[in-house]
Order: sequence, then C-alpha cells, then structure tokens
Amino acid sequence: MRRVVSELGAPVILVVATALITGAFSQAHQLEFENALVMTAIVVALYVFIGNSGVISFGHVSFVAVGIYLGGILTVDPQTKTFTMPGLFPYLRHTDIGIVPSLALAAAAGGVYGLAVGLPLMRLSGLPAGIATFAVLGITANVLYYWQKIGPTAQTLSDIPEAGRWTLAVATIITIAAAYGYQRSRFGRMLRATREDPAAARAAGISVYRQRLIAFTLSGALAGLAGGLYVHQLGLIAPDLTYLDLTFVTLAMLVFGGVASLWGAVLGALAISALNSFLGDAENTVHVGFRLTLPTGTRLVTIGAVMALVIILRPSGLTGGREFGWRRR
Amino acid sequence: MAEQDPQRRRPSGLLRAVGVSRSFEGLQALTDVDLELARSEVVGLIGPNGAGKTTLVNVLTGFDFPTTGRVELEERDVTRWPPQRRGRAGLARTFQHGHAFKGLTVRENVEVAALGVGASSRDARTRAHRLLGALGLAARADEAASVLPHGDERKLGVARALATEPRFVLMDEPAAGLTEAEVPDLAAVVRSVRDEHGAGVLLIDHNVTLILDVCDRIQVLDQGRTLAEGTPEEIRKNIDVANAYLGGSGRDV
Repeated sequence: MRRVVSELGAPVILVVATALITGAFSQAHQLEFENALVMTAIVVALYVFIGNSGVISFGHVSFVAVGIYLGGILTVDPQTKTFTMPGLFPYLRHTDIGIVPSLALAAAAGGVYGLAVGLPLMRLSGLPAGIATFAVLGITANVLYYWQKIGPTAQTLSDIPEAGRWTLAVATIITIAAAYGYQRSRFGRMLRATREDPAAARAAGISVYRQRLIAFTLSGALAGLAGGLYVHQLGLIAPDLTYLDLTFVTLAMLVFGGVASLWGAVLGALAISALNSFLGDAENTVHVGFRLTLPTGTRLVTIGAVMALVIILRPSGLTGGREFGWRRR
Repeated sequence: MAEQDPQRRRPSGLLRAVGVSRSFEGLQALTDVDLELARSEVVGLIGPNGAGKTTLVNVLTGFDFPTTGRVELEERDVTRWPPQRRGRAGLARTFQHGHAFKGLTVRENVEVAALGVGASSRDARTRAHRLLGALGLAARADEAASVLPHGDERKLGVARALATEPRFVLMDEPAAGLTEAEVPDLAAVVRSVRDEHGAGVLLIDHNVTLILDVCDRIQVLDQGRTLAEGTPEEIRKNIDVANAYLGGSGRDV
C-alpha cells in the first residue's frame, strides 16, 4: 500500500502541481503549462508500450493523430464543417458532441488502430520493430495530409472547443492511473519479464506476442485519449502537427526521464516541456536579467543534444528507470 | 505442490523424444535420439561439449524443432508447439546462463513465472513465498535479481521453474560456476524437485559427481547419438563412456 501511494502519488502530485501553478501565469504561459500536461499524457501512453516491453515504437504519434482528428472534428459545429470541409464523411460532418465524449471516442479509436497495427507488427523486435512502426507513422501522416474525407488535410482547422486546465489535468491523471494499474497487473508484470529475458519468459508460459499486443493496444488507446486532449488544448488542427517533430520530442522526454518507469515518463515530459517552452520563448527573446535571444532552431538542437547526452551519460534516464521512492538495494 | 488435479497424476505421463534428429546446415547435431523421462525419476544427460545435449533440451522445450522425429508430452505430440505452450502444459526448464529477469526483484521473478502459466496474483504470491523459503532465498526476496551471487541465481532459476508447477523440469548445467561446496546443496534441490514437487528431472551437467550422485538413470550422448544408457553404476563401469567422457582420451570433461 505504501508502495502504491509513493509510486502513483508522486507523479499525480506533480501533475496537480503543474495544473495549480498554471493559474499564476499570464495567458501565453498558461498555454505552455497546459501543453506540458498534454505532453505528459502522450509520453505516459508511449511508456506503457515502450517502457514495459523494451521495444521501440516510432509510430505512436499515429495514435495521437487519430485522437486529434477524431476528437477535434467531432466537436466542431456541423455548419462550420460543411463549409470548411465539404468532402468529409457524413458521420464526421454531421456529428457534434461534447469534449468529454469526444475524448472517449478518441481513446477507443486509438485503441482500435493500435490493435490493427499491432496484430502484424508485434511479431517484430528491435530495429525491425522501430522501422516498421516508423513506416506506420509515415503512412498515417500522409493519409491525414491528403485524404479530404477525414479532415482538413493541408488546411488549418480552428475554432475547436478548448478544454480547461483541470479537464486536461484530470484526463492526464486518468492516463497515469491506467498506466500504473497496467504495470502492476499480471499483464504488465508478464510483459516486463519478456523485456528482461524473452526466452526465460517463454519458458514460463508467457506469450511474448500476446503480451506485447495487449500493451500496444492499451498504449494506442491512451495515445488516442492524449490526442483528444491535445486538440482541445490547442483549439486547432494544423497540418504536420503529428509527424516527426512530435515523435522526436515525446521520445526525447521519455528517454530523458527514464524509459523503464512511469515516474521517469512523467518527470521527463514535464522537464523537457519546461526546457522546450523556455527555449521557444528565448527564440523570441526572453528577459533573464538580460535580454536573451536565441537563433531560431536552437530549441530542437538543444533538445537533441540533451537527449544524446542523457543516452551517453545516464542511459537509463534521470530516474534510472525506477519508480519514485523505490531503491534497489 | 500440495494439491494436484487428476490430470497431473496421470500415471502413464512421460516426456519422450522419439527418433529425434536435428541438423544445422549440414552439421548433424542429433541423430535418431530417443529419450524418456518419467515424473518419478531424475535422468542425467551427459556427454562432451558438442554432443548435442543443449540441442536436445531445446528440441524438448520448443526453443528448437527437430528435422525429423517427434516430441511427446504425456502422450500428446508437442513437436511443433512453441515454448510458452509447453510451459503451460507442465514442461519447465532452467537455463545454462541464468537468464534471470534482472530488472525485477527475486520475488517478482518467481511470481511472474507462476502468472505465466495462469496462476492468480494471490496464488503466485503464495507460491513465491513458499519456494523462496524452501530454497533459502527468502532473505533476498526484495533484492533485484541482478545482484544475486551465482549460486543463488541458479536456485532462483529452479524456483522459477517450480513456480509453474511443472511435471517435468529440464535443468541445463545448473552446477556450472558453482563452488564444490555449493554442489551438495544443489543435489538436495534436484532431489526435492522429484520427491516433493513430483516432477521428473532431466539433469544436464559436466559435474560427474553430481550426476552419479542424484540420477536414477543416465543417458550418454556423443556426437549427437546415444552412446550408452543405464544406472549410475553401469555408466561408471562403461568403458566407452570413460573414453568418450570421463577423460580416458583426455578429450573433455
């Protein structure tokens, strides 16, 4: 019980604290804090699969994208949609639901897509898995960019209803709780065994494929939910929102915090969000006792460098892959 | 384990290899090998390096498949079953090089093996508690498996195999890397698998003292073929074996 309190409590407190201090800032900075909450949800979704299985996925932003498009489009007024996206499927065009139901649908769609992708792909490990999931990302991004029946394609769709910071915080906490519940469940524990030693896990009756597929599906559903949050945080869908940039930044967050723990996922997401926001501001000049103006592009260069440094100096991340409060003797 | 369903007591239940051959790109690792293991016995499998012992274990456990021949588990043909399915059907193994789940604790290592064959979380915890106690690992239950000394790591492998409540356990060189002082301890563990857990043991090792000490029968492999079979006394006397294995020609022990 004490273990649950510290392992689940610490990340939840961090998220609540982030939501609380958001109120103390100006409008522009509030957006950055809200964005940090959404990034946390995305990274936790990534962690459910990558952290527990030890298999890399470059494709998870596809599931985030499904959540963004479905969760966003379903909450836009039908008249607006008829005007801005006349090619849309009738269901997408006519449906108009609230933010919370749209989040549930986003999660469901992410899970279904995750399952569909996982069925063929979960037989792969290592580099082939990385390449195949990357291919999924490329396919998804291009379909979204060109297919007018499912979204605004190369246009930007704005006027999507925005969720308040507490909706974002609560949904992020739900994501964290689901991830924690999973990792403590029999399925999570079996998947972790396959991560440590696939052969020994199989000898103990564990199907590596099945356990990976379960995690991939859950992870897809959580990523879909996080996508729903993202679109209601931004209030818009822009082309290429869900491609290489987001994939790279969220993976950097996970690696920075520590791939193998939930605490690492949350800490990494918030820490890199802070760095990301600061550098983004600094590209447009910030005052830190003096005027600091960094050249455009510094943000991604720095985050890339930080990620490389962590991989070299502390490969298991800031948290060493441990949960909060637990020390290996 | 204390209670067993009727199927588990199936008297005719044997683990059998029937006419198993395995070749790797022209190299004949096993040629027409037969092997039988009952639940009431410890069978030793010995032979020089390259004799095909580990290949046979892999074929029996589903990590490799025979080129010809078949594997039967309690009268079912399991030749094409993957390892996890055989694990759930009562066939457990330990590995030559530990293969602990290093990032998990000792207790979690044992629990997850029980979960793998379908035990409930509560059952898994009970089994882990009992097995770690019986094998003298209780004090280390909450340590990471990565910090275990060699002897304890071997015991953990056995605990993990037993957590699946197996009817047959294949042990691949459990004494490798142990000190002479640790071997009697291991011998007691092997006997307890047969006597207390009711599981047949196929024991592969280079430690001849251990093999002669604990085995009811011994089968000798050489160059992928069965060279001899018999009781420990018979094998001890067998000249062929002495030449092939005990160092008559100084080839390998």
